[in-house]
Amino acid sequence: MKIEITEHRGVKVFGLSGDIDMYSSPELRKELLSLVGKKAPMLLIDFREVSYIDSSGIATLVEGLRGMMSHGGKLKLLGIPERIVEIFSFSKLDKVFDICGTLDDAFKG
Amino acid sequence: MTVPSDPKYLCVVREVTAKMWQMHGLGEEMAEQIRLAVDEACANVIKYAYGGKADKRIVVRYKVDRERFEVVIEDTGIKADPGAIMGRKLEEVRPGGLGVHLIKRCFDVFEFDGRKKIGNRLRLVRFLKERNEDRDNGT
Repeated sequence: MKIEITEHRGVKVFGLSGDIDMYSSPELRKELLSLVGKKAPMLLIDFREVSYIDSSGIATLVEGLRGMMSHGGKLKLLGIPERIVEIFSFSKLDKVFDICGTLDDAFKG
Repeated sequence: MTVPSDPKYLCVVREVTAKMWQMHGLGEEMAEQIRLAVDEACANVIKYAYGGKADKRIVVRYKVDRERFEVVIEDTGIKADPGAIMGRKLEEVRPGGLGVHLIKRCFDVFEFDGRKKIGNRLRLVRFLKERNEDRDNGT
């Protein structure tokens, strides 16, 4: 897994690529919670290059979401590939996370 | 297949599992779920049986025939308490407790072999009934 942090319209975009599993999720957790701790109003996680995610990755995202919600911030997930979107619906997290198709969609509403 | 109990080897387990599924002509769509389920089971071995120790061994065996796709995962770690293994309610949004749901949703059998004296032997079986019905119907 690789993490690349960029900025779009003043919002930090957390670009992920590769597999998010028990091996890589501790690094994701560290980087994500560090950004969450800065209490930005919105954070975007770009999933377009993610090939795999397991329950440890999902747990990390839930932690990130909780952290953002604790200060009234939003955590949005962008471009989740079809092959992994199923785990979000199975775990009912598609109802909890704000999932956007494109970068522009993330800035609507 | 024997792999070290180091999370960096989980990608190897995933790839071998998916290949084993695919090379027997089983559905591509289900391959993702099977890959994820076996990954979750091995991650549980690392986390719970070995307490995160990366220098132990995990043995993964596959058995495939007309009726079933079977995966047996063995370790020499702390014994699991099958009665205590339950996931969170899916409606509860909190970290953790999802892995066991991901395993049980695609395997019909999820059982620990009580005869194993040291460590655990987890047997996962998916019955291939639908596949056989499709084949028998010529589809």
